[in-house]
Amino acid sequence: MADNGAQILDRGYRRYEGSRSGTVGAVRSVAWHTTRSILGLGRKARHKIFPVIVVVIAFIPAIVFLGLTVLIGDLLEDELQPEYWELFGFSNVAIVLFATLVAPEAIVRDRRDGMLSLYLSTPLTRSTYVAAKVIATLGTMSIITIGPPILALLGYTFQSQGPGGVLEWFEVLAKLVVSGLLIVAVLTAVSLGASSLTDRRAFASVAVIMIMIGSLTVTAVLINVAGGSQSLGALSPFSAFEVAPRMFGDRSEDAEEVETWLVVAATFGWIAAGSSVLWWKYRRLGAV
Amino acid sequence: MSVISTTDLSMVFGHNRALDDLDVDVHAGVTGLVGANGAGKTTFMSIVLGLRYPTTGRVEVLGLDAQADGTEVRALVGYGPERNLLPEDMPASDFVKHLAEVRGMPRSEARGRASDALWLVGLGEERFRALGTMSTGQRQRVKLAQAIASDPSLVLLDEPTDGLDPVQRDEMLVLIRQISDEYGIDVLLSSHLLEEVERICDHVVALDAGRLIAQGRLADLVGDEEGVMVDLVEIPDRPDAIRGVVARLRGDGLEVHHEDGSTRIAVVGPDADLVADRVRDALAESGARVGRIERRRRNLEDLFAPGPA
Repeated sequence: MADNGAQILDRGYRRYEGSRSGTVGAVRSVAWHTTRSILGLGRKARHKIFPVIVVVIAFIPAIVFLGLTVLIGDLLEDELQPEYWELFGFSNVAIVLFATLVAPEAIVRDRRDGMLSLYLSTPLTRSTYVAAKVIATLGTMSIITIGPPILALLGYTFQSQGPGGVLEWFEVLAKLVVSGLLIVAVLTAVSLGASSLTDRRAFASVAVIMIMIGSLTVTAVLINVAGGSQSLGALSPFSAFEVAPRMFGDRSEDAEEVETWLVVAATFGWIAAGSSVLWWKYRRLGAV
Repeated sequence: MSVISTTDLSMVFGHNRALDDLDVDVHAGVTGLVGANGAGKTTFMSIVLGLRYPTTGRVEVLGLDAQADGTEVRALVGYGPERNLLPEDMPASDFVKHLAEVRGMPRSEARGRASDALWLVGLGEERFRALGTMSTGQRQRVKLAQAIASDPSLVLLDEPTDGLDPVQRDEMLVLIRQISDEYGIDVLLSSHLLEEVERICDHVVALDAGRLIAQGRLADLVGDEEGVMVDLVEIPDRPDAIRGVVARLRGDGLEVHHEDGSTRIAVVGPDADLVADRVRDALAESGARVGRIERRRRNLEDLFAPGPA
C-alpha cells in the first residue's frame, strides 16, 4: 500500500488561545441562527412550507407586473403601471401572514425549548438577545416587504420605464427602503411584542391576528358604518402602510383625509407600543 | 487563588431570603455545591453568571466582578442547565457548534470543537442525531459537551446527573472528573445527591435554606472515623443500664449523644479506637445487651444534621 502520509490522530481536548468575538459575535450568531430558523433552513420540510408560501405570495404581484411590462409593456397605458409604493399594498397579505404565522418563531421557540436560559449564560444579555431577535425578524421580513418593490424598480429600469435620472432613481430607491423599513418595524414590534406574552406559537399567532385583523375590523366599522373620521385608522397597525404613499407625496384612497403627522405618529406609536411590551416581558423573565 | 469568591452575599425575593450573607470561596478543581432543593444553589449560580444582581454583597469570578463584568465572565464560563429541555429537531453537532459560536468561537473553530466535545462525552457516533431522538443520558452529555466546547476556564453544572440511571450517573461523574483532571477546567457542580458529590469533588460548599453551613476541602469535612454508634436493647431487670452507659462514657470525657427514651447512643472522641475500647468497657460494666454496634464515619449528611443522633 502506498504511503500517502495520512494519519488518524486523536485530537483530544485542545485549549483555545485565539480571540473571542464577544457580544457582537454572539448577536451575529443568534441573529443568523434565528433567520435560518424562521425560514425553516436546516429543518424538516414542514417547517419550510409557510415561509415558502409567504415569499411566493409576496413576490407574485411584482413579478406579474414586471412580466406584463416586459411582454406587452408598449401596449400598456401608463395608468396600468402601479406606483412603486402601491407594491407594498399588493404584498401586504404576505407581510401580515409573515408577521402572524412565521415571525413568532423567532422568540417563542427559545422559551419553549430551553434555549433562552442557555443564551443568557453566554456573553448575551437580555437586551442584546432581544436585539439579535429583532435584527433577524426585521431582516427576514424586509426581504418580503422591500424585496418586491425593489425588484419592480430594477425591472422597470431595465425596461427603460424606471425613474428618469440617476439621482431620481436613487431617490425612489431610498424612499422605498425607508418606507419599507418603517412598515417592517411596526409589524416586527407588534409581532414580537404579542409573541413575548406566550410560550406557544399558535397562541402567539392568534394574538398577532387579534391585534392586526381585530383592530382593522374595528376601525373599518368605526369609519365606514359609524361614520367616524379616517384618522381612526391610526388605531390599526395597518396604518403603517400609509407611510409609503406619503413618502412619495401621495395619499391612498382610504386615508386621504388623514394628516401626515398622524400617520408618522401612529407608525412610531405602534413601534413604541410593541417594543415596550417586548422589553417589559424580557426584563421580567427569569434567566437560569 | 479562588475561582469564585463572594463577600456578604445576600439575595432576597420578597419575604424569602434565598441567600443569606454568604462568604464563599470556590477553589480550583471540582467543587460540589450541595443542599436540598430550595437551598439556594441555582440562585447562587445565576448570580455567579451575572444574570441576577444580589440584594447585597459582591461576587468575583475568575478575578472579574460578576455584576460589572458579567459579559466577560460569561465568555469564560460554560454552563449546563438543570432543565432537560433542548431544541428537539436540532442535530447535536449543530446545537453544540451554535452555542460555541455564541460564546465567541470563530465559526470554523466552533465546528471542529463541537465535534471534538461530542466525541469526548462519548457521542461522536451520534453527533448528527436530532436532540429530540436522544435519551435522557445522551441529552445530559450533550449539555456537558456544549458547556466545554468553547474552552471555558470554569464550568457550572446544575444537577448534571438528574434523571440518569446508576450506570449513566457513574459515567457522567467520570466525565466531570475528567474535565477537571485532564482538560484543566474548574467545575462547580450543583447537586442535592450528597453521595455523588463525595465521590468526585475536591471541595464542598454546603447551603441550607440560603445559609452557608460548611465549606472547605472534602477530605477535611468527611471521611474520618470519629466514634461509635451503639444500639442497645433495654432489659427489664436492668432499667438503668443505658443511662449507666451514657454516664460512664461522659465520665470518661467522651462526647455522647443520647436522647431520653432512645435506645441509640452515638459516641464521638478524638480517636475512634479509644472510643471503641471505652464503649466496650462501659457495656461490660453495665450488663446492657447490644443490638448493633458500628464505627461511625463522618459524611456530608452530617453537615445538614444538628448532631450525630
